[in-house]
Amino acid sequence: MRAIPTLKISISGVRGVVGDSLTPELVARFAQAFGTWVGGGRVVIGRDPRTSGEMVRQAVMAGLASSGCRVSDLGVVPTPTVQLLVRQLGAQGGIAITASHNPPEWNALKFVGGDGLFLSAARGRELLDIYHQGDYAKAKGADQRTPERIADAVERHVRAVLEGVGPLPAGRPLRVVVDPGGGAASLAAPRLVEALGAEVSAIHATADGRFPRPAEPVAENLGALAEAVRARRADVGFAQDMDGDRLAIVDEAGRPIGEELTLVLAADEVLRRTKGPVVANLATTDAVDAMAARHGSPVFRTRVGEANVAEGMRLHHAVIGGEGNGGVIWPAVNFARDSLVGMGLVLHRLAGSGRPVSALASEYDRFRVVKLQRHCPAEQGRTILARAREAWAGRPVDLTDGVKVRLEDGWFILRASNTEPIVRVIAESTTEERARAIAESVLADVASWL
Amino acid sequence: MEPLKIGITGVRGVVGQTLTPELVVRFAEAFGSYLDGGRVLVCRDPRPSGPMVQAAVTAGLLSVGCEVVDLGICPTPTLQLAVPWLGAKGGVSITGGHNPPEWNALKFARGDGLYLSAIQGEELLDIFHQGAVERVGWDRLRTRVEEQDAIDHHLAALAARFDASAVRARRLRVAVDCGNGSCARLVPRWLEALGCEVLPINDDPSLPFARLPEPSVATAAQARAIVLAGHADLGFVLDADGERLSLVDETGRPLSEERTLPLAAEAALTRRKGPVVTNVSTTGLVERVAARHGATVVRTPVGQAFVSEAILEHGAVIGGEGNGGVAVPEIQATHDSAAAIGLLLEHLAHAGRPLSALDADLPTLVMRKLALPVAPRLLFSALQEFREAVGEVEGATVDQTDGVKILWPDGWVHVRASNTQSLLRVIAEADDAGRAQELADWARERLRI
Repeated sequence: MRAIPTLKISISGVRGVVGDSLTPELVARFAQAFGTWVGGGRVVIGRDPRTSGEMVRQAVMAGLASSGCRVSDLGVVPTPTVQLLVRQLGAQGGIAITASHNPPEWNALKFVGGDGLFLSAARGRELLDIYHQGDYAKAKGADQRTPERIADAVERHVRAVLEGVGPLPAGRPLRVVVDPGGGAASLAAPRLVEALGAEVSAIHATADGRFPRPAEPVAENLGALAEAVRARRADVGFAQDMDGDRLAIVDEAGRPIGEELTLVLAADEVLRRTKGPVVANLATTDAVDAMAARHGSPVFRTRVGEANVAEGMRLHHAVIGGEGNGGVIWPAVNFARDSLVGMGLVLHRLAGSGRPVSALASEYDRFRVVKLQRHCPAEQGRTILARAREAWAGRPVDLTDGVKVRLEDGWFILRASNTEPIVRVIAESTTEERARAIAESVLADVASWL
Repeated sequence: MEPLKIGITGVRGVVGQTLTPELVVRFAEAFGSYLDGGRVLVCRDPRPSGPMVQAAVTAGLLSVGCEVVDLGICPTPTLQLAVPWLGAKGGVSITGGHNPPEWNALKFARGDGLYLSAIQGEELLDIFHQGAVERVGWDRLRTRVEEQDAIDHHLAALAARFDASAVRARRLRVAVDCGNGSCARLVPRWLEALGCEVLPINDDPSLPFARLPEPSVATAAQARAIVLAGHADLGFVLDADGERLSLVDETGRPLSEERTLPLAAEAALTRRKGPVVTNVSTTGLVERVAARHGATVVRTPVGQAFVSEAILEHGAVIGGEGNGGVAVPEIQATHDSAAAIGLLLEHLAHAGRPLSALDADLPTLVMRKLALPVAPRLLFSALQEFREAVGEVEGATVDQTDGVKILWPDGWVHVRASNTQSLLRVIAEADDAGRAQELADWARERLRI
């Protein structure tokens, strides 16, 4: 069997393994293609703290400068900081150097347009064409610009969130433990919590490129946070991923409430302030609909992925949106999945309700999500989805993204990964046992079709 | 389109045309692989393409597991001196040197700070051409650190070698035109340390080059004006990265850059006897100066690496080239304008005579130089055909150290291919202009281009 390539070049960016497929030459080329696509001008860059970050950053700067761009370098910052600063600085675009939740040997470039959004599929295709054609803009040596360092990017981001959500109400300060996972938000997360007026302590807040826990902020990786929340008698614990776009919550007893509820609690806070449409991807919990119904706000569903959700939010003039993986998008501050925005909103919800996290979460006890995956050769992904459509033809089926099937007591969605030879199933029902049973039966069907 | 030159002296090209970030990344990866990882110093001159090239060099070096020490804007000889000081395995200086601002280049230093020798340069090229680079995984990647003290270290090394008190006693007024190059961070401070009254011009590396960077009579106009207006004892004209130097005497007369080395050789040999090293294209004044002191002259192919190697091999007391590059081996066996300035000022102070008088002690020889553009595909065959056309010359000797040099008792002519451009260079020298022109014409007639 041929080896699975580690390099993935697609409309959502370029991702690979350093020392193997993600070479500085390739990165410099891609940065030139992006510089050519934006047509020169200012480009904001930032990186997460992986050990390969500096190498990739230098190659990105070389490529951008060569194509006539002026680089505004933010240093080690969350991806949403790059997106925010693109708009604040009026830049032509941005590049976030991060492989997000992938293991340490990976790195990637994510491309941001002048509007602070990740490139849409159409724009991503243009960039890819320029990359493959190889005819990059070349600024004359004498016209090239020295990169500038923006030293206060984290302060700007914290200030923007603080101005957006406002300080927490006076009274007993909330006690908060943050776990940025040694990621890009290691500096920003404790600063924001402090600036909001809560008491903060931090674990895993040294951004030195080591991964103190697996990067994804899912329940099984939050043991240390749970312990810290209990030991410090905190009201809440927050965990982020490596590039600070996703947020997970641990309650006052140290129990992860599930990253699906991050969006629900944050959106609840926003809708209390401003009524309006909510947008979520179609693999996100129905708890969003239950919450929005209480405020009389409609919910629109999109394909999975930040770019799709953001596009849907624009279309529907949404006041809040996001994804079930803990990504919250609040356009009032930042048109990006932003864990700092998520923290600000959730802390306000907590302070405003006067109730513990566990009580807020328990309102959504009847929404239980289970996520499973299994190997599936890439060339069979389409066949599997076709079989699934046939098998559940009698049910209400949504084909927006993969196959989503509504059942009497819940739903499931089956999708083939764009980046790995796997299929994923997400199931929701009223109990975890039932959700797991649904997901397992879907995967059993998939196995029988392979 | 200007050609790209990849050779044993490094890689040189025009940014925005041939010197692309991909090429620079690949070359830096090859150099890092050649060194087999470890600490590598990187500096640049202040031309606008420097940050782009430096970022590409840094990415390439990091990718193959090197630790990058960034000296920022810094003269090349300062980097070269810092390589052994910081225990580095090598260095990369990003500088177009004397070339116009649209050019840039990488120059590679090895663990002792000297440029790669011809053989080492060939090895590096083999790695580059073969693409045999060894990238490392995430757990073996090193990072980039900044180092601020390299210039202080260079100043301390200079101060330890030269007799500052003698210079200080003369209270010299010295004009210096740094051309807004990286020397602006070193040379004015060095002159102050020597107790000179410094009249600096073009000493801000954040500004564009104020003139072509090559020190010569043609680029000395501003230094001349400052010498005259400021009643200075002499003036210095520097290139962008601190390797070349030309002089202006106290009357405001710019001296040819060919006279820098002979004057420095006089200063060095007055202090201590020993061999002198220069390349085959450099003025015969060097032999005349050496003869006064009973010293020998070793002639090498053109290029600093050859001069450096011969300095070490022969234990030379001074070395350099006709372009104004001077190496003072007690500081380092490579071109270093700050060391040359120390040597010349010390000599001036001890001699107690003005620069015009010291210059007048040297005979005047006349040079004729032609630069003949040749298509890259014909560059070396044209030289080969010239050698065949010349054959044996009655009453002359033919030297093939580098290109073809024909020496008569009353003059010489030298034809060689440029290391940096697609040019054949013809250089003739004799006691008078008529004879020099005759020798240049003699060679031109035999070149079929």
